[in-house]
Amino acid sequence: MNQIAENPFFVLGIAVDASRIEIEREANKLLGMLELDFAGAKTYLTPLGPRPRTSESVRAAVAALRDPYQRLVAEVWARHAPASKVIAVEPEAPTEITSDGARRALGWRP
Amino acid sequence: MYALPFILFMRLHRAALNARRKDRTWKFLGWSAVSGLLAAVLIGFLLFATVILFAAGLWWLGIPLLALFAIPVAGSLITRHALVPLGMYKTAFWVGHFTSVEDSDAMALVFSAWALSHKPSTAGEVWIAARRDRRRPLGDAEVVTTALLASARGDAGGARHLMRSTLDLVEVHPAVRELAGEWLACDAAERGAWQELAADANAARFPATALTYFLEGVAAQRIGAANPPNASVLYARWLFAPHRRATSQWLTAPLVPSASAQNVETVIEATEPAPERAPLPRAVAAHLELAHKASPSELADAVGAWDAALADPATRAWIARRALELDAPLGSAERALKDVTHAVTDELARIADSAKLGAPSGRGLVGGELARRLRHGRLDALEQGFSRWEARSSTGQVLPPIDEWREWIALRTQYDAAVTAGGLDLRRLAFPHAYKMGNSMSAWLWNTRSEYALSHAIFTWLLGEALAVGDTEAIEMLTRNSRLAVSTRTGRVEFPKS
Repeated sequence: MNQIAENPFFVLGIAVDASRIEIEREANKLLGMLELDFAGAKTYLTPLGPRPRTSESVRAAVAALRDPYQRLVAEVWARHAPASKVIAVEPEAPTEITSDGARRALGWRP
Repeated sequence: MYALPFILFMRLHRAALNARRKDRTWKFLGWSAVSGLLAAVLIGFLLFATVILFAAGLWWLGIPLLALFAIPVAGSLITRHALVPLGMYKTAFWVGHFTSVEDSDAMALVFSAWALSHKPSTAGEVWIAARRDRRRPLGDAEVVTTALLASARGDAGGARHLMRSTLDLVEVHPAVRELAGEWLACDAAERGAWQELAADANAARFPATALTYFLEGVAAQRIGAANPPNASVLYARWLFAPHRRATSQWLTAPLVPSASAQNVETVIEATEPAPERAPLPRAVAAHLELAHKASPSELADAVGAWDAALADPATRAWIARRALELDAPLGSAERALKDVTHAVTDELARIADSAKLGAPSGRGLVGGELARRLRHGRLDALEQGFSRWEARSSTGQVLPPIDEWREWIALRTQYDAAVTAGGLDLRRLAFPHAYKMGNSMSAWLWNTRSEYALSHAIFTWLLGEALAVGDTEAIEMLTRNSRLAVSTRTGRVEFPKS
C-alpha cells in the first residue's frame, strides 16, 4: 500500500491539482515546522490512517512531484482514493469466548 | 487362592475401560462407574491385605505388594494427580510401564513427557527423546510424546499439529489416543474453538477420557448442536471428570464479555464501493478495503474493480490527458498504466499469499496476471519442497523417524494450504509431482527404513489426492500400496483387498 501510504500528495498534505509553486511552498513550510519540532507536522493523514512524516519523506515527495511521470502515477492513486477520514468504531463482539489458561488448569501445560 | 479373583477383577477393570472407549452415550458414564467401582474394590482389597501383612510383621512384603498391584489399577490416577503436577518424569515413565500390558513403553513415554511438560528441563527432554528415538518404527506414542515435548517448550501450535497428525497413523494405542484427544479438547476449550471440539466429538476421532467427554458436552451446548446434553447429563459428566473445580465454570451459561472490556480502536471507515462510482475510484476503494480485511470476496471485488477500471476507456483517456497537461515524456500514459497494473498485481498477490486466498476468476489485466503468479508461485514452492524431501532417499541422508514425520506433515500442510487457495486447477497441476516424489519416498521408507506406519500414511494421503484429481494410474498403484498389511507394535493391521 505504499502507493497510498507514501503518496507524495498525502505526505505534503496538498490537493492533487496543486501547482509547482504551491508544492514547493508547502514543502518548505513543512521542513521548517519539522525543524522546529512542531507536533502537528510530524504526522500526515492518508486513507489508511495517520503516518509519520519526516524531513526525508518531505524531500522525497517534492522530488517525486517535480518529475511529471512520477506525478502522473501519484495522481492516479491520490486523486481517486477515498477521503482520509478517520473515525472511532467499536470492534465486533468476539464470536467465541476463550478461556485463557484452561489447558493449564486442566492438567496440561503450558 | 486370592490371586485368581484379583486378576479377574483387574481384567474386568480393563474391559470396562475398553468398553467405555467405544461409544459416547450414557454407556460411557455406566462403564466409567463400573471401572471406578472395580478399581475401588481392588484397592480396598490390596489395602486390607497390606494391613494384614503389617499386623503379621511382614511389612517388607506388604509395601511391594501394594506398589506392584495398585499401580496397574491406579497408575493413571497417580500419574495425573501426583507425578505430573510434581514433574516427576522418570517416575512417571516407570509407572507408565505398569499401567498397560501391551507395548508398555508407549504409555511410559507419554506419561513421562506429560510430567516433564509441568517442569520442563533440557536434561529431561534429552532423557525422554533418547528413549523415544530408540523405538523403531514410528508410531502414535512417539508422535504424542514429541507433541508433549513441544508443548513443554511452549509451542502449543506445533503440539496441536502433531497431536492431530496421529489420526493418519494406523498404529493405535487407545490410552495414548485418549490422552492426545484430551490435550486437544483442553486446547480447544482454551481457544474457545468449540466448533472444532464438537466436530472431533461427532466424528469420534479420539477415544474420550472423562474430561474429554465433559468438554465435548460443553462444546455441543455452546455451539447449539442438534442434541446437546441437558444440564443434568452435563452435570453427571462433570462429576466423573477430573479437575472439577476448574471445569465448574463451564456448567453455567457462557459469559459475555463486558462492554468495558471492549477496546475502542481507530480504523478506517468501511467504504462500500458505490455502484454508481466511476471505475477507477471504485478500484482504489476496493483495494483499500482489501488491505483492511483480506477475504476471498474482498479480493474478488478488488480484482474485478481493477480489471474494469484498467480496461475502461475513460481511465485511459484521463491518464493520457493528464500526461499531456503535465508535459510528461512521450509514452508516459502507457507506461503509467503498466506500472499501476504491476503495482496492483504485486500488492494483491502479496495479500492473497499471506492470507492464503485463492485466485479469483477475473481474467483481465490484473486478474489474469494474479492467477498466473499465484499458481506458479505456489506450484514452484510445492515442487521445490517435495523435491528436497525426496532427494534424501537418493543421497542417503537419514533422519530419525520422528523428524521424517514432522517433515512430511509440514509438506502436507503446505500442499493443503496451496490447493485450498488454488482450487481444483492447482490441485491437478500439483498432484503429479507430489505423487512422483511421495511414492518414491514412501517406498524408500517402507523398503529401506521399515517405517511401515509412516509409509502407509503417505500412501493413503496420496491415494486420497489421486481420487480427488481422478488420476487412474496413480489410483491403481496407490490402492495396491495402501492395502499392504502394516506391522505395528499393537499388531498387524490388515486392509480389505477389494
